[in-house]
Parts: sequence; structure tokens; C-alpha cells
Amino acid sequence: MRCFVRVLCKIPLAHRFLGLASLSFLRLRNVCVDFPIYQGSSRSLKKALLATSTHGNLARDALDRINVRALSDVSIDILNGDRVGLIGLNGAGKTTLLKVLAGVYEPSQGRFVSSGSVSSLLDTQVGLNPDATGRENIILRGMYMGIHPHEMRMRADEVAAFTELGHYIDMPVRTYSAGMMIRLAFSISTCIPPDILIMDEWLTAGDAQFLDKAQRRVEEFVRGSSILVLASHSTQLVEQWCNRGILLHQGRVVTMGPIKEVVAAYQRIIGGAILEAAVQIAAAGLGC
Amino acid sequence: MTHSQTVPDAGTSRIVELMEPPTRVVLAVIDLVEGVRKSWLWTTLAQQDVKLRYRGSILGPFWQTLTTAVMIGGMGFIYSKLFHTDLHDYLPMLSVGLIFWMFIAGMVTEGCGTFIAVQGIIQQVKLPFSLHAYRLVYRNLLTLAHNFVIIPIVLWLFPHSIVWTRLIELVPGLVLITIIGVWVSVLLGMISARFRDVPPIVASIVQVVFFVTPVMWPVQALGTNAWWAQLNPFFAAIDVLRGPLLGQPTARYSWAILVIMTVFGCAVSFAFFARFRSRIAFWV
Repeated sequence: MRCFVRVLCKIPLAHRFLGLASLSFLRLRNVCVDFPIYQGSSRSLKKALLATSTHGNLARDALDRINVRALSDVSIDILNGDRVGLIGLNGAGKTTLLKVLAGVYEPSQGRFVSSGSVSSLLDTQVGLNPDATGRENIILRGMYMGIHPHEMRMRADEVAAFTELGHYIDMPVRTYSAGMMIRLAFSISTCIPPDILIMDEWLTAGDAQFLDKAQRRVEEFVRGSSILVLASHSTQLVEQWCNRGILLHQGRVVTMGPIKEVVAAYQRIIGGAILEAAVQIAAAGLGC
Repeated sequence: MTHSQTVPDAGTSRIVELMEPPTRVVLAVIDLVEGVRKSWLWTTLAQQDVKLRYRGSILGPFWQTLTTAVMIGGMGFIYSKLFHTDLHDYLPMLSVGLIFWMFIAGMVTEGCGTFIAVQGIIQQVKLPFSLHAYRLVYRNLLTLAHNFVIIPIVLWLFPHSIVWTRLIELVPGLVLITIIGVWVSVLLGMISARFRDVPPIVASIVQVVFFVTPVMWPVQALGTNAWWAQLNPFFAAIDVLRGPLLGQPTARYSWAILVIMTVFGCAVSFAFFARFRSRIAFWV
């Protein structure tokens, strides 16, 4: 019962109540995430039932279920005012880690505790109805973020102004370009400064002018003791936006620390990868 | 969680011990409670679902009502001739039965998509999983409300001796069926997310069940064999709602079956939900 109460009570709310500075954090200890990959017959109930009845212990093999360890043994502390850049090659586990931080995936092993309101920009499309106008979608997406339509209606003009979409805001969203979609999604997700903002790399697809504007907004609320976690392979963007970095490689944390050092380590990995590929090509060439 | 120590460097800190995460059962209960607390969200989403389905049409959601009315009218005339029964008796039975059947069958078939249908949201936003089930059941309740308009009209056209006090029975009946709807959509939603051949299997079973359940035909038509149709849970659900509206006695086992279904189903579904809740995000 006690742990029940502890989970239910909102820690930052209590602190605001007492006039203390809000404290937000994300802490992970030895977190592992295993992805079951279901392919072909493992998706079938019939096969699964037959497998358990005829093979007993071999059922798992008969199901051809493969577990991919997307994150292994990740221990991280992200605290007030941190702007963290997650970098790594494709498939390094960046998005998986973001999803753990956003609370979408529960770790298969290890512990994860967070405090503070989370706003996640993992995907531009969430909660958007392509047939509704931009303005209608402000309300829709706001709902999925937990903002009541009444409150969102009051903020709609403010959000619309930030997108700089002009009269396009009253057009159906399906007519939008990818860049316009990003403008809309970012503006909605940040209209109420969250304690923790989690962004995936698609933001980089926005144009330079909007990126500048977005950066100013993020800096503003990170100064108000919030947290930013941004995944990207653009080292330039990460260096500009973040003050600390986490380098992921094959699901493990390779280095953490000041952003410059981490970016340097990342470049060494890229160098290594290129070298490795070159060696393989050379070996293949010799083999022929 | 104390926060007394200085902010440690992200690279070196292993200082703070994290508390034991709550057990699966506690997390499942929190999920269900949080879902209820977000009622404003799933009621709004469900209303929107209904509206969007008929976007751009003049009648709006009342298209649903019209479709059902046409179906009941057509079937009523044909089958009353086929079964050699009086339209005056047959049409009220058919319309009440069919409207509640559509409600129940709708929850079962749509229940397969509780989580699959909203995979985009599950993958991106943290929301209580139960919320999706509540939304689905509420959406079906809204559709029922639109169809329900037909019932008073039919009962006015073909008057029956209604015992007004018995209409109170509709309340516990609907409450129980709604609770059953929640556990069915959670359970079927999870199984279907894991095993993708379940939705078509369920769809064809529901189709078969429609013909073996006394919806289109009166249960008395079976004569002495009526008891086996009365053990059908689908019949029990329809019976407790149809009986009071048509002023007929409720079958002997109906209430018992419904209560057992509610209690037993909730227990099984909760056990599954507690065990596999955290896997849903990976399954969809």
C-alpha cells in the first residue's frame, strides 16, 4: 500500500506547492530492453498452440521467437537543467532509449524512475488527423499530451503564431509538407513548457530559421530547470543544443560527459566503422 | 527520494539507489485507475470517433440509426412471414434483440483491435493502456444510444404491456454488460496484439454465434430444448435487456450467467493484464 501511494503522488507538484524549486530527473539503473521479434509463424495462435502441445519445451524454438537486446545495462542520471544529446550510429538504441525515457517502453530488466511532466516528440504524426485543419489538430494533439481541450483552445492562437504557417493553419493537415508538420508538432508539444522534453532526430529536418527559433524556446525553458533529451546523428546540431552527451553503441553506453568529448568519441567510432568496412571489403576482394 | 547530494556528473554517478519498482499487480491497478481518472480524454476521443465516421454527411451519426432501422424493417417483414408469426409480436422482439446484439457483438469484434488500432499512440505517448479499452466501450455505448432511438418508436407502433417498474432492470443489466465489455476488450485486445490471426477467428465465431443465439427467432421456438440456448452467454446478455422492455419474464439462468461472466471474466482478464501489460507496447 505504501508504494502505491508513493507512485500515485506527484512529486514535482508537491514541491511547487511548498514553494520549492521543481526538481525533475530521469534515472536509469542497469536498464535492459529486449525486443521480441515476431516473424511469420510466431504471430500465429494456431502454430503456437500446436507447438506447445506437441513439442513441450521446444515450443520456444518452434515459435522462432528471437529476442533482440536493444539496450543493455544502461545506467544514467539526467538532472535539472541538463540538455543531453544522444548520439550513435543507426540501430545503436537511441530511439529505444528515448522511448524508455518517455515511459512508452518498460525496461525488461533494471530500474527506471522519473519525476516531472514529460513531453515527447518522437513522431510528428501522433494524434494528428490528416483531414482536420491545423488549428483543429492543435486541440487534438494537445489532448494526447494530457491538455484539456478548453485549455488548448485558449492557447491555440499562440501556438498558431509560433508555427508561422500563416493561413495554412486553417487548411487540412494532409496538405502540409514534412517541414510544416514539424513546425506544427513542435509548437504544440512545447506550448506548455514541460519539465522534460524528449525529441527524436526528425526535428533536424526543419529549416534553419525554424530550428533557431525552436532552439531559443528550448533554451528558455531548460534555463527554468527543465531537461532536454535530444537524439540525433547530426553532431553539429547536438553540439549547438546540448551541454552533455551520451554515446550509444550497439545498445550500450560507451561514454557520457561534456558534449565535446562525446562527439569526439563518436567521430572515432565512425572512423572505426569506416575502417572496419574497408577491411571487410578488402578481405572480400582478396577472397575473390 | 532524497535530493540532498550535489548534482553528480552524469558520467560518474552511481550514488542514488532507486527504489524497488512496484509489483506488476500494483502497476496494473494504477493503470486501470489512471485510465478512469483520464475520463475526459476517452469520452472526448470516443465522441470524436463517432463523429469522424460520418464526417461530411448530413445525418451524421444518425446514419447509423437509419441503417439499423432499414435493416430491422426489412428483416422484420420477411422473417415474420418465414416464421409464420405476427409482425406485431415479431418486430419488437427483433428490433430490441438486434440493437442489443449489435452493441454486444460490436464490442467483441472491435475488442480485437483495442490496442492494434491505436498502435501509433501506444508507441509514442505514455497513456494508461486501460484508457483505450474505456474509449472503445464508451464509443459502442454511444452507438447504442443512437440506435436505441428506434426502440421507443417500435414499441409505440406495436404497443406492448410494459411494466414500467421493470425498466429499472435495464440499469444493472447495462452496467454488467459494460463491465464485461471492458474486460473483453482488454483480454481480446492483448491476445490479438500478440497473435494476429485472432481477429479474423473471432469475427467468424461472432458471425456463427449470431445464428445460434435467439436474436432473430424466439427462444420458445426450441420447445423443450430451449435450455441450451439459455445457457449461451450472448443470449443471457440480450435477455436481461430485452425482457424488461418487452414485458416478458427474464430466463431462469440469465442473471446468474451474467454475474458469473462479470466476476470470472474480470479475474481472468486482470490476471492477463497484470502479467503482460508491459509487453503490449512491444506487441503492437
